Amino acid sequence: MTIRHHPDIATLGSFGFGTLDKARAFVVAAHVTSCAKCKAMVRGFEETGGVVLEDLEPAPLSMGAGEAMLDMVLHGADADRRTAEPRLAEVDLRTVLSTFDEGPWRWLGPGVHYKPLTTAPAGEARLFLLKAEPGTSLPEHTHSGTELTLILRGAFSHSGGRFGPGDLEEADSSVEHQPVVDDGDVCICLVAMDGQLRLTGFMGRLLQPFVRL
Amino acid sequence: MLCSAHQAWPIAAPQRYAPMADNETTSHSRLIERVAANQDRHAFMLLFAFFGPRVKGFMMRSGASDAYAEELAQETLLTVWRKAQTFDASRASASTWIFTIARNLRIDGLRREKLAANAQAQLDVLDLDVERPDQTLNSVERAERLRAALSGLSPDQLDLVRLSFFEDKPHPEIAKALNIPLGTVKSRLRRSMMLLREILEDLK
Repeated sequence: MTIRHHPDIATLGSFGFGTLDKARAFVVAAHVTSCAKCKAMVRGFEETGGVVLEDLEPAPLSMGAGEAMLDMVLHGADADRRTAEPRLAEVDLRTVLSTFDEGPWRWLGPGVHYKPLTTAPAGEARLFLLKAEPGTSLPEHTHSGTELTLILRGAFSHSGGRFGPGDLEEADSSVEHQPVVDDGDVCICLVAMDGQLRLTGFMGRLLQPFVRL
Repeated sequence: MLCSAHQAWPIAAPQRYAPMADNETTSHSRLIERVAANQDRHAFMLLFAFFGPRVKGFMMRSGASDAYAEELAQETLLTVWRKAQTFDASRASASTWIFTIARNLRIDGLRREKLAANAQAQLDVLDLDVERPDQTLNSVERAERLRAALSGLSPDQLDLVRLSFFEDKPHPEIAKALNIPLGTVKSRLRRSMMLLREILEDLK
């Protein structure tokens, strides 16, 4: 698997610092899992985080905080309190893939189906799977928000290049494109998107009322 | 040197990005290793005295209340105690490791209510095994270089880095709060990340 398209450096940095929203973080994690280059860059941002943390102005702890802490570790008090895994959150793609078999694919347009993975509140990025049949030409469109797309299987091309498994595409309202799926294999993508698709071509404007992702 | 538990921690603000004594950064790693080897509580309390107030500061800067920030700091250090065996000084410095713990708790803690349960359930935590055969510096040396590079930034540049580090509001909200166009927020964040990338690439 040759990965040619990577997340923007700002996206990667936000991911390393932990300030990326959950849906986008999920997609970026899935890419980083299989991209050594991005993985090393994320680790660099984490190292930066460590240095910034060390040099941060300390906030005084309350009276007795040390005693409480000692009590907590020595007597297992509050044993069910959550602890965080001290590692980068990565995505087990098998888990994602297993959801292919659960729940129905919903019809989005000719040759295109989707499956919601989250129900995000309005204004937040949603996570869903997109499946397009071989040779499908998607309507020309742009986005009112931003969209992160990770290709899991198959491939598509548009003016921005060809995207295959492991590639990650970022698009926003400045990008107008018309992806065409390769012949021969179905294309499945993991998508985090806020805002809506805006269809721009003539056919698109006719179809727009029906597009509700 | 176990600090008294009966007083607030009297720690002065450090000099910004002042070079840290070599023995100090390596000793944090040693302290974690001592916790791992024999649940050394003195070693742990030294880590707590240093990192507790800093993690609390990190949480407060990220928007947590005083009390909640302290709770998250406790949970971070509790994780250090419980997971000390998984710490590998050859792969990460102590501060990098503790930062990732704090970061993950911040993600969980500050946004818990906003999470879609579905995505959370599917977020599996795996080991990040970074292989860098071309890397000649160890984690402590890298941290020192990084610190030196950050100390060379202008105040404006540092602000940019901080913005990207603490800001976990969605970009449209930052734009609204600062009354600047969304595109400006994005380009400022991007500039700061590119700056960091240059610094990081120089470390190789």
